[in-house]
Amino acid sequence: MPRYDYESRPFPTLWSNLLTPPPPFHAMTSKNHIRPWLGFSTSKALGNFGDANYMEQLLVHCATAIETNDATLVQQILWVLNNIAAPDGDSNQRLTCGFLRALVTRAARSGTCKVLMTTAANLAIATHKFSIIELAGFVDLTPWHRFGFTAANAAILDAVEGFPVVHIVDLSLNHCMQIPTLIDSIANRLEGPPLVRLTVAGLTEDVPPMLDLSYEELGTKLVNFAKSRNVTMEFRVIPSSSSDGFSTFIEQIKIQNLLHSMNREALVINSHMMLHYIPEETLLSSPNASYRTIFLEAVRSLDPTIMVLVDEDADFTSRNLVLRLRAAFNYLWIPYDTVDTFLPRGSEQRKWYEADLCWRIENVVAAEGAQRVERLEPKGRWVQRMWSAGFRRVGFNEEGVGEVRSMLDKHAAGWGLKREEEDLVLTWKGHNVVFATVWTEKQDEAWLGTAYI
Amino acid sequence: MDPYRSGSSSSCAGKAPDQIDGLLAAAGYRVRSSELRNVAQRLERLETVMVNAPSEISHLADEVVLHNPSDLASWVDSLLSELNQPVPVPDLSDLTYAQPLDPTVNTGAWMEHHAAEQHREIPQVLTAVEEDSCIQLVHVLMTCAGSVQRGEFSLARALIDEMQGLLTRVNNRCGIGKVAGYFIDALSRRLFSPQGSGLIGSAYENEILYHHFYEASPYLKFAHFTANQAILEAFDGHDCVHVIDFNLMQGLQWPALIQALALRPGGPPLLRLTGIGPPSSDGRDSLREIGLRLAELAHSVNVQFAFRGVAASRLEDVKPWMLQVGPKEAVAINFIMQLHRLLVSDPTRGSPIEAVLGWIRNLNPKVMTVVEQEANHNQPEFLDRFTEALHYYSTTFDSLETCSTQPDKALAEIYIQREICNIVCCEGLARVERHEPLAKWQSRLRGAGFKPLHLGSNAFKQASMLLTLFSAEGYCVEEDGGCLTLGWHSRPLIAASAWQAIPEPNPPLGLVDPYNNVV
Repeated sequence: MPRYDYESRPFPTLWSNLLTPPPPFHAMTSKNHIRPWLGFSTSKALGNFGDANYMEQLLVHCATAIETNDATLVQQILWVLNNIAAPDGDSNQRLTCGFLRALVTRAARSGTCKVLMTTAANLAIATHKFSIIELAGFVDLTPWHRFGFTAANAAILDAVEGFPVVHIVDLSLNHCMQIPTLIDSIANRLEGPPLVRLTVAGLTEDVPPMLDLSYEELGTKLVNFAKSRNVTMEFRVIPSSSSDGFSTFIEQIKIQNLLHSMNREALVINSHMMLHYIPEETLLSSPNASYRTIFLEAVRSLDPTIMVLVDEDADFTSRNLVLRLRAAFNYLWIPYDTVDTFLPRGSEQRKWYEADLCWRIENVVAAEGAQRVERLEPKGRWVQRMWSAGFRRVGFNEEGVGEVRSMLDKHAAGWGLKREEEDLVLTWKGHNVVFATVWTEKQDEAWLGTAYI
Repeated sequence: MDPYRSGSSSSCAGKAPDQIDGLLAAAGYRVRSSELRNVAQRLERLETVMVNAPSEISHLADEVVLHNPSDLASWVDSLLSELNQPVPVPDLSDLTYAQPLDPTVNTGAWMEHHAAEQHREIPQVLTAVEEDSCIQLVHVLMTCAGSVQRGEFSLARALIDEMQGLLTRVNNRCGIGKVAGYFIDALSRRLFSPQGSGLIGSAYENEILYHHFYEASPYLKFAHFTANQAILEAFDGHDCVHVIDFNLMQGLQWPALIQALALRPGGPPLLRLTGIGPPSSDGRDSLREIGLRLAELAHSVNVQFAFRGVAASRLEDVKPWMLQVGPKEAVAINFIMQLHRLLVSDPTRGSPIEAVLGWIRNLNPKVMTVVEQEANHNQPEFLDRFTEALHYYSTTFDSLETCSTQPDKALAEIYIQREICNIVCCEGLARVERHEPLAKWQSRLRGAGFKPLHLGSNAFKQASMLLTLFSAEGYCVEEDGGCLTLGWHSRPLIAASAWQAIPEPNPPLGLVDPYNNVV
């Protein structure tokens, strides 16, 4: 019986059955196989935002690792991020924490990862359902929305002078928080108040801030408020979905206009922070006109007296996750930074406010396709769209600007006002936050609707 | 866990055909009375075959000649009573195998468990023949190990040949077949090249294997981020910190810690890292290379950093003066799958573990992180070690089946193979893989003057989250009295714990500096 001679007969079956035999050791170089480590680029100047810069880089690396299915690197970075981004830390840490949660959610949804029920439950963001009083209080705390309201009210008052009927079409995120102040100014106009018809787009998608009462109830309250100011108001809500570009909404408005076309009616389109939910070109498979373009052209076809367009000045539309993440990080640091000036640490209100921010961060980072609704575009692009749709700019009068300034004076010192051509821009520590623009019809030119490419 | 321990014998009286035969039951066999005749016939055939054997098994006949031929029957009897089945000569492959009485540890149940694992993970179905062959394989493995323990090397070698034959009937790409293949290989090495001490690669090879094992499975990652969590928390509030890593390898553990320290509230500390590792034989100073790269990383995140490498072939050769611990430093000692190497004991020098733990204690570290394989591979009896290793590494290989990237998976298996070989092939100073379970480490470390540090909910939450998100289903993290374990399904495979030195209750008469020198 021959003894088994291991030296000359290596055990055959082990190796022959490996799917791909590994290369011989001498063929492997350590460079190919040792993982390159993450260093931070030192080319960026580290100012006050040194830490934020590092955190942004870690988030970017994490996003890239998720996209390339590099589980090891994702785990390492998540470990670091978990330790440096405390949910109750300073504003940079809380901002990073929001992005961290969003990245974990994204990773959990990607094909290679599996999520247990407990993990999913921990990640769910609990946004607050505001009562009218709470929401009104919130809106007053910060110029974020008051800026747009104040500027818009001044412009609207100007434009509807002399009209006996004013039809306000309100497309705003804030559930008509602007309306009471608008009604106040209209009620006090010299020639007496007009009849006001208020048509509101009730967004069917649940985006924060969420309201705890129905639009019907809200409408009743608003009508009663108007009555208390001696203004007769009719209220109508049209449920609308951003996913079809508010097309049913526009149809309803057209029908209304036909019914009331005999009256001398001022049509005011008042949109605050809502139009960015309408899908634009990156959500299309074909390069034809996007819902956003179609919407603006449809609005133009209503021949409005005035259109107010207020929105946040940032670009969240990139298809590339890393670019989007950077854009969101470099914009949403602002609300985290400002909140220290108007809400105390640990307060319930701060939690609500930041929960809504986390919702937005998660939507930008973890959602794709039609689920991703936070599609902000910067002012320059909106201006171009409006122009192409047949609108021309109207400036703000000095009185209006003055009102905005005095409103800002009541808030923290970091807020500022910039005038860019005919537009107004709200700034925080010099960075653009919200822009306000006012438009009317381009009349003199032969206008052909242009598809935005 | 002795599969050979027989249960209580059944009654000898009144043999109904279905009743289990009492005599064989006493030897651990369940054979129905109705089948006794069958068994007796087989035994006769066995006798005939062995006595008139062709050349392949004639050496068995040679063995038999050493005994009195009239004792053949009793020799066969003793074979039957010690083994779970007759010698698997091909003629007898249709014999119904007697199952051992002890139901808790039997290969049948284990087979089911593994077959179930395979069904979950890989869409392969074991045929009845394969399953049978797998059961045979495991039986013969145990038998072979038993014969090795008793010094019956000829029998063992014959069994090896038999197992190689069985392997061809079994799918050895996965499951029991693959694991058995590695263990057969290890037994072969033990029997046929006793001069060689298992598989030893160069330090460079070891690094490559380690790296791929790191990538292919979550065990090392879990070890690193659990240890790092304990170290990060222990360093809170300290401005000068010193980490002593008893196996630097490629320093994979440290970039994450450096980055977390860089961004900790209050700013980073001054960080010193001492990396211990084997000397490189090929002229590369790998410790220095790793140290330089870590220094680059630390520099890029504005962490003041200094590195020292200590090249030592054996951990017990490391002396405290080599580490140059400063008086004001907060020290963290890091043992990832290393501490068990100090359990190798030389009768002339005693156990190094006590000496090393002693001087570590005198350093008064803020934390000592210990991650070890959760297994009892240091038992004095070879068969016990073998059995334990078979269970442990079967579970490990099962978990590796979920890795789909190559060559990570293949090289990870070789990494594990080396551990198996060390446990099975080596003895004495060469056997370094002396894994012990957490409970033993806990009492050992307590006895050495350390108290446990609770690993904390942070570590547990992180480990759970990272593992459930990025590793295959089947891994589980558990908390066990302040320690964390990572396992595959219900079997913990790795245990992580953190420790702190208890200050000496009765200080010695002279002043003792941290290097254990009396001042």
